[in-house]
Amino acid sequence: MLHIDHLRIGVVGKTILDGLDLDVAAGEVHVIMGPNGAGKTTLANVLAGRDGYDVSGRVLFDGVDLLALTPEERAAAGLFLAFQHPIEIPGVGNMYFLRTAVNAVRAARGFEEISARDFLTLAKEHMARLGMDPAFLSRSVNDGFSGGEKKRNEILQMSLLEPRLAILDETDSGLDIDALRAVADGIQRLRTPDRSFLIITHHRRLLDDIRPDQVHVLSRGRVVRSGDQRLASELEAHGYGPTLAGTSA
Amino acid sequence: MTAVALPKASEEAWKYTPVAEIEAARRAAVPAADESVTRTTLDDLAGDLGCPRLVFVNGRASRDLSDRVPAGVRIGAVPSAATLMIAADVDVETPLHIVHVSVPRDLRSLSHPRSLVHAAPGSHVAVVETYCGSPGPALTEASTEIRVGSAARVEYVRIQVEPDDAIHIGRTRVEQGEASAVHLTSVTSGGDIARQQIDVRLPGSDARTDLDGLYLPARQQRHDTVVRVDHAASRGTTTQRFKGVVDDHARGSFSGHVIVRPGTTGNDAQQANHNLLLSPTAEADTRPWLEIFADEVRCTHGATVGRLDGDALFYLRSRGIPLSQSRDLLVSGFTAEILDTISLPTAREWLAHGVARRSPERRR
Repeated sequence: MLHIDHLRIGVVGKTILDGLDLDVAAGEVHVIMGPNGAGKTTLANVLAGRDGYDVSGRVLFDGVDLLALTPEERAAAGLFLAFQHPIEIPGVGNMYFLRTAVNAVRAARGFEEISARDFLTLAKEHMARLGMDPAFLSRSVNDGFSGGEKKRNEILQMSLLEPRLAILDETDSGLDIDALRAVADGIQRLRTPDRSFLIITHHRRLLDDIRPDQVHVLSRGRVVRSGDQRLASELEAHGYGPTLAGTSA
Repeated sequence: MTAVALPKASEEAWKYTPVAEIEAARRAAVPAADESVTRTTLDDLAGDLGCPRLVFVNGRASRDLSDRVPAGVRIGAVPSAATLMIAADVDVETPLHIVHVSVPRDLRSLSHPRSLVHAAPGSHVAVVETYCGSPGPALTEASTEIRVGSAARVEYVRIQVEPDDAIHIGRTRVEQGEASAVHLTSVTSGGDIARQQIDVRLPGSDARTDLDGLYLPARQQRHDTVVRVDHAASRGTTTQRFKGVVDDHARGSFSGHVIVRPGTTGNDAQQANHNLLLSPTAEADTRPWLEIFADEVRCTHGATVGRLDGDALFYLRSRGIPLSQSRDLLVSGFTAEILDTISLPTAREWLAHGVARRSPERRR
């Protein structure tokens, strides 16, 4: 589904990713770990279409050249990024934002628009499962939300937009136990044989529930080690030091 | 008669107004002719806000299009002015909609819409005043006076949506008695040159004035807002909150003048002006001007000129919302703070649609 071939990313003359290769097959869950500054968030942003980077290499998403698409085209094609720091947009109602996004993606995928009433019902169903108060629909997008509320709102968007590939950028950071549980459940519910996940995290905790197919360690712009879930436990016990010392990077 | 005396270009309050162009238009102008419009045209231009309308076409009252006013309101007999007299202690529950339609011919057509709202002590009224027109070279010199008796409350919404080739020179004068309250919201989207001056005097103590405004120049439009608030008595509270959204080659300017007179105490004056530039060739000017002659006073002011937030734009687009729609969403978020202060829902909704229609491709 996602095929990354020798991806290089630079910003203002500084190399951030230096020839990254990664393959994520349909239905798989991949985890990217790595020390701060390794380029994890940059990778997520570039995959979602953020501009301002010098990008070379090749990224195929279901066989399509992902890097040639605008951010909205990527969303329509089925890519979703849960932001590490969701953006607050005062004055734009959350309900209106969510419905506009869902209808934009539906239109691009050739489906009919969903009415305001049907959408309200749908959104409330999803919110109930995430333990979100429907009052969050009538507030401005992320405006004044707590850290956990913002992350729940990201998972809400993910479940409403039904992506093929969801990239979660430290969605589990800074969450209390309840919020972490809601996020993990939200991800688990969305797992299907043809939906893939790329999860960027610092913590093993989330992975206990999710049971990823592969864990990769990103350092100095490359994948320096890959393994199964045991790698995450090892990293949590011993830190990145031994892993990184064992590589030639 | 002339509603507004034009000054020399050097005068401070006219710093951002293209006075020479207005003078040239005045020299070329002829008095606007007797015209009429259909109810459909009226609804199209000014919206049907679901409240009684007083309609003026080219400065003259149109009996056919005007409705009866509710009890407690007396309208003046002069056919060239909208005069609303609210009796003491009357709470007029129905908002009133004054509509001025300009229907210009080929020549620059000059009209002088005039309104007077007189709220006697203890009364309450809400008035929406709309300036609109059919395309053509109109020159509108508008004047509104709002006199507010002690402990009276007035909500006033001023909407200026004249066509792009109109020139609009407006002046709103507010005078407030003791413990009175005024909430004024001004939205300007029309006119080639549109100037709007708001003068507020507080000769009565303990009065409150909230001034909110939005100007939305696009294309080649020039919008100039000049506010003057005069704290002539003690313990007055005034807020000014004006926002500009400037697109294409347009120019938006704001001057906010606050005077606190000597010998007064406990006045509180706040002013904020925030501007959003949507194109590299758009221009916004902002100028606070504080003259504080009293010691015990609280005065704050803040002004910004910025562009659309790139992070927010990327966030919306990453959810599948196309670029132009994402920009419109952010603009409506920026303007919502002002529009949401309007208590009449029909006016608020009509204006929110108007903001969405502000760019030419959306007008079609």
